[in-house]
This record gives sequence, C-alpha cells and structure tokens, in this order.
Amino acid sequence: MSDSSELLRIEHISKVYTMGDEEVHALRDISLTIRKNEYVAIMGPSGSGKSTLMNMLGCLDSPTSGSYWLAGEDVSTMNDTELAAVRNKQIGFVFQTFNLLPRATTLKNVELPLVYAGVKTDERRRRAEEALVSVGLADRMTHKPNELSGGQRQRVAIARALVTNPAIILADEPTGNLDSKTSIEIMRWFEEIWLRGNTVIVVTHEDEVARHARRIIRIRDGNVESDTVNEQPVSLSNGGMGTVHGSTSSVSA
Amino acid sequence: MILAETIESFRIATDALRSNKLRAVLTMLGIVIGIAVVTLMGWALNSLDAAWNSTIELLGNDMLYVDKWDWAGGKNWRETMARKNITIQEAEELQRRLRSAELVIPMASFWGRTLVVDDQKAAGFTVTGVRAQYAQTAAGDVADGRFLTEAEDRFHQDVVVIGYGVKKAFFAQDDPVGRELKIGGRRFTIIGVIAKRGSALMDFVDNQVFIPLNTFFSIYGTSTRPVSIAVKAGSPEKMEDVRSETIGTMRLVRGLRPEQDQDFSINETQAFRDQVAQIRLAIWGIGLYLTVMSFVVGMIGIMNVMFVSVTERTKEIGVRKAIGATRRSILLQFLLEAASLCLIGALAAIALCSILAAGIYFLFHEKAPFLTPYVPPQILLISITVSIVVGVLAGLLPALRAASMDPVEALRYE
Repeated sequence: MSDSSELLRIEHISKVYTMGDEEVHALRDISLTIRKNEYVAIMGPSGSGKSTLMNMLGCLDSPTSGSYWLAGEDVSTMNDTELAAVRNKQIGFVFQTFNLLPRATTLKNVELPLVYAGVKTDERRRRAEEALVSVGLADRMTHKPNELSGGQRQRVAIARALVTNPAIILADEPTGNLDSKTSIEIMRWFEEIWLRGNTVIVVTHEDEVARHARRIIRIRDGNVESDTVNEQPVSLSNGGMGTVHGSTSSVSA
Repeated sequence: MILAETIESFRIATDALRSNKLRAVLTMLGIVIGIAVVTLMGWALNSLDAAWNSTIELLGNDMLYVDKWDWAGGKNWRETMARKNITIQEAEELQRRLRSAELVIPMASFWGRTLVVDDQKAAGFTVTGVRAQYAQTAAGDVADGRFLTEAEDRFHQDVVVIGYGVKKAFFAQDDPVGRELKIGGRRFTIIGVIAKRGSALMDFVDNQVFIPLNTFFSIYGTSTRPVSIAVKAGSPEKMEDVRSETIGTMRLVRGLRPEQDQDFSINETQAFRDQVAQIRLAIWGIGLYLTVMSFVVGMIGIMNVMFVSVTERTKEIGVRKAIGATRRSILLQFLLEAASLCLIGALAAIALCSILAAGIYFLFHEKAPFLTPYVPPQILLISITVSIVVGVLAGLLPALRAASMDPVEALRYE
C-alpha cells in the first residue's frame, strides 16, 4: 500500500480483444499509480492503447486481467450497474466532440449527471449553476449547444464533468475539434481546475496539449513507454500565457 | 429521478415528433386508429347497455308474458301463426290456478289505431285493454290523474289512460285529464297520463292508450285479438319457479297432452338479453379484429421509429452511460419515450372520438336517448392504459438494444 494521497492504482492490467481468430493485445501488463491533484497527460500514437487505457481508467471498460483500485475501491470486479455508479460519482468526462445533448439547454446538460445521481431538482439546479459560473458561463445557462461557440461548448462539457465533484477529470483529446486560440483557452481552464485541487488526466497525441501537464505518461504498443515529470510545464494560469517557449524534458522509464 | 426522467422522456418524444411531423403522423396512425376503435367500441357498448337497462326497467325483470307471439322471433313463423289465440277464459283460468305469482293480468292490444281529439287526428297508436291491477306494474305508473278502476272495467266504462307519446301528439302543454278522446268513433274520457317510459328499443310503449279490458272486448270482440297475460313474479329470484308453474298450468288450461308441443310463448326480458348479447358479441368481434390489426401495424411503426431513434442517438446513449446512466435508466428512458409516443396518439384518438361521440349524440339523441354525448371515463382510462401498454411493448426491443449498448462502442459511433 502506498501513501494516503494515492487516488488510483492499476496493477498488471491487460486487455485482450478477440477479433475473429486473432487476439489483439491492446494493453500488456500495465501498472500505474496516480495521486490526488496530479495533472497527467497520457500520450501515444493511434493504436498505442492509450484509448483503451483511458476507457479502463474511466471505468467504461473492464480489464481482461489485473486489478484497478479507484478511491479505495476495487473497480475491476464490479458489474455494469456498480460501474455506472462509480462513473457517475468519481469521474468527469470531457470529450473531443463535446457530446452535449443538442436539444437540452446548457443548464439541463450540466444537470444530467446529477439526475442520474438522484439529486433533487432544486439542489441540481443550484449546483449546475455553480458549475457553469465556475467556467465563466453564467450568462449562457438557457442557451442550447448550437447557440454556443466550440470553446463555450467545451466549457459546458467541463462544467458537466465538474458538477458531481468527481475524483478525476478525464479528458479525451479535449482540444481536438478546436482552433489553436480556443485550445489554449480550454487548456487554461484545465489548469484552473487543477489549481483548484482537482485531479486532471488528459489523453492526447498532441505535444501542445500535453506540455501543460505536470506529468506525462507515454504509451506504445500497449506498454508504458515512459512516465516522466514535466519539469518545465507551460503554465497558463492567472491569465498569463506563461512560458510559451518552455519545453518538456523526458526521462526514459 | 423517475419523475424527472418521465418529464424528460416525454419532452424528447414531443421534440422528436415536432422535428419530423410526417413520420410522426404516419407512425401514430395505427395507434390512433386502434385507440379510436377501442374508444368508440366502448362508447357503443356503453350506449347499448344503457338501452338494455332502460328496457329491463320498462318490462320489469320480474315480469313474464304469456303470449301467442314469441318476442325474439325465434320460433317458426308458420307454426306461430297456426296457434290458437289465447282467450280471456284461458287467461282467467290461469289467473285462478297460478299460486306462485304476485299478479296475473290479462290484457289485449290492437296496433295501428287512429285517435282523434277535437278535429285533430293521428294514426299509429296501440289501444290496449287491461285490468285495474296493471297499475301495480312498472308500466302502469301514472304521472297525472289516475289509473283505471275495477268498477270501470266491470261496467265497460269509456275511460282512457294515455301514454306520454299520445299526450305529446295531441295536447302539448295542455292538461289532457278530463278531455275527450275518440277511438274508432267512440268517445272516451281521459282520466290519467302514464309517465314517460320509452327507450330506443321500446319507443312504442309511449304511443299507447289503456282502456278497461271489458270495454276493449265490447269494441273489438273477444275472439279477434289474442289475449296476452302479464305475470308478475314479485322478485327476480322467484322467476324460475313462476316460469315453470306458469308453463305447467297453461298447458293444463289449454289441455295439452305431454307429447304435444307448447302452443304459446313465455316472453321475458331474457329474450332481449340474448339479442343484446348477440349485438355485443358482434361489436366486440369487429372491434377486437380492427383493434388488434391496427395495434399490430401501430406497434410495428412505433418499434421502427424507436429503432431509428436508438440508432440516431447511439452517441447520446454512450454519453449518458459515461456520465452515470445505468442500463435500467436507459431502458426506462426509451420505454417512456415509446409510451409517450403512443400516449400522444391515444390523446389524439380520444379527442377525435369525443368530437365524434358528441356529433352523433347531437344528431341522433332524439331517436336514441340512450346515447351519451361523451365517451365514458372508464373507457378513456382503458384506452390510455392500453396505449401505454402498447407503447411499452413496442419500445421493449429498441430500449433493450439501447440499454445493452457498450459505452465504449457507443461513444465511438459517428
């Protein structure tokens, strides 16, 4: 057992997909520990297994073997319903394509996780408003997604991820559908969230995104290729675009 | 959570309907027709029951009638025609011998008579000769004036009690009691008016006048018209005993040997009950067939739309699962959506039927007073329940597919 600040720990996780007669090893015996309030980027080319790892971390998928402890619970043996509850409580997803419900208002979209959590209407509304205010969208509550810009939509998605006060914010290529200026704005919000004390995991293949993180895990062929501390992170907080020219130094695992 | 989900699902369903009106209308057509058939069928049966009940009330459910004719027309026409008329002597013999009955009243009728009041003349009335005890049956209930007395019968008095239809035809707002009425040129004094009793199946009862039976015989003779004998059992429970004693006694009175067929009919409300049951069965049969057909078509339509909806919203299902929706809540969401679709269809059908029922009532309530201007609430309740059940059944397979989606696959769907 490690220290009390440990948030999640995966041990010897493997994932094997059977496609016809062929077995595809998406993850091969990965072990990893992430502590509270870390800002981690998971990197890797397509087909590296980073998406599978993200699905595993997000409790969307179960490993073929190995165990996964999240916030003190062994989630690798849980059934569908229990996993749904863990996702609802512990994980806030942010997707590349925002994935907001098109017919619902901003407020309703942010309320949705609380609906599944069984939170009462008034409380739900109050917390959703709070989350929207915290991402600077106080004046967009009654708008529908198609009335918002890409950056605003992603901020709604961030508010939706934050509203349940989860253990992890898990973002999958969060700037993949945004222009570079908006991307920087979104990354600044992630940093802001991290500074407020949240644990942020960003899955990406872009260095520009990863370099904001404080720890970078590279995946290749289903293995951890490297797991390094980003010693010169590009900080975007306090409105300053910071050391834009900073570079990452990597240490081989 | 369930309430919020229900409202949410209902909104999604109505949104989906608004966004594709033609598809929605076509989808719901089957359900609308199905519910409309169920509703109208229920309404028709309800009206039929109302008509039936008023008939029972009219004839009395503890009454039976010994007649030459069979009301239900079940017997062979020639055989019935060949029967000897029941005579007043036979009727009085039955009256003397019958022990179990409360009342036995001989009566005779002549149909299609013309009545005259002052210079007003109208045809198509029934003149019925009765005894005074007729006042003790449901059909002898006097609204104005009084009924005939035994003395008036014994002394062949020319007095008459008129039905409500006769009053309406000749007197409008005037009081007919004490006025003069001519039957076949003979002057009668009106002494009473029978309360309105007519129903759709039996509207002729109001177009009737009652005179003392002996007066009837002195006008028309004792042999031309068959005598009918009203037998009042006293209670529905006694009907069984009274019926068998009546048949036995009547056979004895008419001198029938055991091997001979009965040459008279025992008429009761039972005869109508059988007819009503047949009509009921026919309405049910046709209605059920149409309902099942349109529900099958409707269910296929709804199922189809729901499958399309599930496929179109695969990504949404993935997102919902990612943020914590369980299989159960996804299942519930789509079942509610399907049920909402059907419910909207049902509400449209009910609105349609209500207008139709009100229209039919407005056009025909004079001739058919048993019609209600609205669809009865219990029928509405049944229709709504059926529509929800149909919706849930139609939505089951699509909803199961949505619920069992793998969140990873669903999120990847474009």
